[in-house]
Amino acid sequence: MNYYIRHHTLYRYAEPVSFCHNLAHLRPLSDSRQSCRKFRLLIQPDPRSLRHFEDYFGNHATYFSIEQPHTELEVTVESEVEMDVYGDQLDFTANLSWEAAGEQVQRSRNQAMILAREYCYPSKLVGILPELRRYAEPSFTKGRPFSEAAQDLTHRIYSEFDFDPNVTDVSTPIEDVLRHRHGVCQDFAHLAIGCVRAMGLPAAYISGYLETAPPPGKPKLLGADASHAWFAVYQPELGWMQYDPTNDRIPNNQYIRVARGRDFDDVSPLKGVIFGGGEEHHVEVSVDVLNTKPTDLPRPTQAAATDHTKERKPA
Amino acid sequence: MKEPSPATHALPKGQLLHPEYAALASPHDELAPHHLAARGPGHALRPHWQQLMAILEEVGGGELERRRQEAWQVLRENGVTYNVYNEQDSKRRLWEIDPVPLVISADEWSRTERGLVQRAELLNLVLQDLYGPRQLLREGALPAELIYAHPGFLRPCQGLQPNSTHPLIQYAVDLARGPDDRMWVLSDRTQAPSGPGYALETRIAMSQVLPDTFKRCYVQRLSGFFRTLRDTLAAQAPHLTDDPRIVVLTPGPLNETYFEQAYLAAYLGYSLVQGDDLTVRDGQLWMKSLEGLQRVDVVLRRVDDTYCDPLELRGDSQLGVPGLLEAARRGTVLVANPLGSGVLENPGLLPFLPGLCRLLLGEDLQLPSAATWWCGQPDECRYVLDHLSDLVIKPVHRSGLSVFGPELSRPQRDVWRARIQKSPALYVGQELVEFSTTPALIDGTLQPRRSVTRHFLVTSEGGYRVMPGGLTRVAPGSNTLSITNQAGSVNKDTWVLAEHSQPHRSLLSDGARTIRALDRSGVLPSRAGENLFWVGRYAERAEFTVRMLRTVLNKHNEIEEYGDDNDRRCLTSLIDALRAVTHADANSIPATQGAEPPQTDLASLIADPARSGSLSQVLSALTHAAFNVRDLWSSDTWRVIDDLEALQEGLQGLSVFGGHRLRQRLDDLVTSLIALSGQTTESMTHEHGWTLLDTGRRLERALGLCDLLRTAVVPVHEELLDHLVLEAVLSSQESLMIHRWRYRTAPHKLTALDLLLLDESNPRGLVYQLKSIDQHLTTLPDAKNNRLEPVQRIALGAYTRVRLTESTVLVEPKAGRLEALESLLLATHVDLQQFSAALAERYFSHVQAPRQLGTTSLGIDP
Repeated sequence: MNYYIRHHTLYRYAEPVSFCHNLAHLRPLSDSRQSCRKFRLLIQPDPRSLRHFEDYFGNHATYFSIEQPHTELEVTVESEVEMDVYGDQLDFTANLSWEAAGEQVQRSRNQAMILAREYCYPSKLVGILPELRRYAEPSFTKGRPFSEAAQDLTHRIYSEFDFDPNVTDVSTPIEDVLRHRHGVCQDFAHLAIGCVRAMGLPAAYISGYLETAPPPGKPKLLGADASHAWFAVYQPELGWMQYDPTNDRIPNNQYIRVARGRDFDDVSPLKGVIFGGGEEHHVEVSVDVLNTKPTDLPRPTQAAATDHTKERKPA
Repeated sequence: MKEPSPATHALPKGQLLHPEYAALASPHDELAPHHLAARGPGHALRPHWQQLMAILEEVGGGELERRRQEAWQVLRENGVTYNVYNEQDSKRRLWEIDPVPLVISADEWSRTERGLVQRAELLNLVLQDLYGPRQLLREGALPAELIYAHPGFLRPCQGLQPNSTHPLIQYAVDLARGPDDRMWVLSDRTQAPSGPGYALETRIAMSQVLPDTFKRCYVQRLSGFFRTLRDTLAAQAPHLTDDPRIVVLTPGPLNETYFEQAYLAAYLGYSLVQGDDLTVRDGQLWMKSLEGLQRVDVVLRRVDDTYCDPLELRGDSQLGVPGLLEAARRGTVLVANPLGSGVLENPGLLPFLPGLCRLLLGEDLQLPSAATWWCGQPDECRYVLDHLSDLVIKPVHRSGLSVFGPELSRPQRDVWRARIQKSPALYVGQELVEFSTTPALIDGTLQPRRSVTRHFLVTSEGGYRVMPGGLTRVAPGSNTLSITNQAGSVNKDTWVLAEHSQPHRSLLSDGARTIRALDRSGVLPSRAGENLFWVGRYAERAEFTVRMLRTVLNKHNEIEEYGDDNDRRCLTSLIDALRAVTHADANSIPATQGAEPPQTDLASLIADPARSGSLSQVLSALTHAAFNVRDLWSSDTWRVIDDLEALQEGLQGLSVFGGHRLRQRLDDLVTSLIALSGQTTESMTHEHGWTLLDTGRRLERALGLCDLLRTAVVPVHEELLDHLVLEAVLSSQESLMIHRWRYRTAPHKLTALDLLLLDESNPRGLVYQLKSIDQHLTTLPDAKNNRLEPVQRIALGAYTRVRLTESTVLVEPKAGRLEALESLLLATHVDLQQFSAALAERYFSHVQAPRQLGTTSLGIDP
């Protein structure tokens, strides 16, 4: 199955930005489960300098700078990703208990497990906190298989937290998310990661896309999709296994991965440093995920929500 | 005849050594270890100290103390300081010096040197691996958590400088002599080691304390080390060029070792820059200078790596350069040491080094480190927790402070225990080693004190080179455990002896390349230009204020003696002028009432450092701006600035009309300010830097004149009072004598204004300032003769307006005021302020601060 993705970001500044440096993580990963066939990056105004490279975590990163005064920055990505037909994450219901899994990851001399330890420690946005451990413990009962515990944690977050895009932003710490029981996909992924790490186990942040179905009987709106985020845990027997606490689902081949890191900060789709620009900036983002090849990828749409002065994060 | 005293701890008899030296010294004292003392008085000193000790005995303790004072004075005048944090208004601490050097024998040095070079090679390989293949982690030679959980492991720095065999360009190690008489490693400095500049300054000061002694003792010279550093940086510059541009990146004047950074930059001939002096364009690093962007090839950084690039490292940093990491990744600029090298400043690595040395170099590690237990391992952690009160507890990252177990109270110990248990991988326990003592001059005698020496290495084509010397710090007291400059240690020179006498070679002896390098360093960073401009403005503002104050005090004294009513009214007028010049009313102090001078307000205008426009505040702004460009001043100029700082402090608590002390102080200030003016005019090359400084000075004098004349001369009084006011005004502007000589009459408005406004030859007159500014502008970069820049247009307009004015028009009174004069002064004032803004816009417009642009996506219901 192929996906066609269009991810459009538009910044509007109150005053001209004299120049800016940016770092993007926008190209979908290519690995054994998915393959990025085509990737087109359009930046307006023209970048003076642009370079693609592989980052520390093996993701595709793009640095670019715009060195002419501008009041708008528009970044459009069009990519085509071929997904593995055996899309569903095979559920081996691994029997290894979470305690044994932790022991193996910490003690093993196996390279993959040594490298997975990277994901056991606090990272910039996900600390290891006692309250996270307390939240996690009901899922991590004695002797329970790690995969079952992770799935249970996913389910609990889904049922105990409200999805609300208006209450958190990129700077909301996970303690607040835990206390107030609401947030968006990024918050839920961070929360789950913090819980898993608090139990001494490795967990990673995954950013990507998910195709959304239109309401029954209605045509799909352009720009109605979103960037998405979920998490993965490292299981000694199986490798990285993914979970989506926002939808209580085990990601299948409708989940297109763009980057993996310790948390959002490692893989944010687009970040930058600007000079000038005035006090406020507005940003519009729209994402379209289509599973048929469009004759022409949609143009920027009016359907995209606008007028967000606050920085927003993936759903 | 008496029997000689028992041989134990016997030392040669002399005046200099403290009688209890041997008893107080540690067993392996640098000068007189116990094992030698046992052999009897003639053998008690280590042989390599004997010559120096003979010389010191000859000089004598009293004379050594005197010379220490002299050396200290030299250091003070050179402004050798170490900024201490957390003290009120972060005062600079003067460099304390001990005049007795630490002496290292040629023999021992060659062993130490080999050990240091081996350690540098080893850490270099570890650094390459950690930011490259990470084989050491994959194979378990280093525990993953030791690196992964360390805040200094900067993942965005992966793959930097893949082609360099020695990315670890500079390296420093703290060594001390352990209980087994060997040298032990206390810590490694791999980011931006501080100290080589202090070592050099200390050496220079010592040459005053013990002249000729270096030659007699065959002391190795330090300059070769700096030559190597320069050659290495030039050779590793990414662009093929004979004269790469190299900059020293400083966090700024508040940094604890700012003096040293400025000193090194000046000594090596590099530009001293802050983050906002640099910019990344088209993947390449540039310095913003008055002449536009200049490509930078090498950055010698003294900013911690996490602060170097807000795009990919700490987003909240204002000390770095956005895009620097990308430029380094592209290889268009060399950053020394590379970003990310702080990962090696991790005491948790110490227990693994012997194994790594065998693995990577196939050798045994030569220099031992103090026994260290990394708490990331369960057994080691248990050991540390069981022995908390015997160990030094160090965080693996330098962001935290070390604590000494024996100094902890029981509740403090519990706090530390909990801290370690919470994040064991972030702490080590280290054995508390009794390090040996070395002689230090205390009250005229030599007494043993514990010491630590920092050694410096730099890579070169032939491998790592070690500075033959170093920076030795001695504990301030006999029982002090920690030796840091923050804690107030005393510094001493470190002498490495050679087998032969040492030829003299200056850093500046290597010919054409040096000269070109110095030429290029003449390009002035914009920020430096801006600071010089403000030095000029503040210096003139201070001088103008002092002159006005003196005039007010003189008038007050006259009233005391003669008590004339006109004098009283004149004083009121002068005080109003002083208030206008210092913008006192803008700072919300009630206006003067009646003839009685408000002493408290005057006192605050003089000495209140918090009041904007007060003399004290202007002087501290002046020294602050001067300190910002510390690297640009000659030592004579710096001495004047240093005097000004002292004079400013002396203003506190002087009573305004109580005697001559204030008057004396103001005279001293005028003398120092004139010295500064003369010093800058006579010893700075009249290039862009000086031009900006003088432009600032002229601008400020012109503004002052406008304010003064507008308040004092525009109102029309009866003739006698007018005379008095004009006399005082002329006197304050040093123009009374010339007025008498030229016009041979008591001052009239016509003659006074002619002299103070329109005479192009009077360096205290308004038109002279405007003319100078206009001329200065033609020499600044990119000034075109055939088309005026906006800033030139404003200056020329102001100059022309005054020039075209006829003095007779100015003195026609209208409704009790000289309206034509008033409007001329107001218009000129407005022009001058616009000029200042335009100049900043044209030449200093780098002040835009970077801001982070958050990442975004759209939140939509799932």
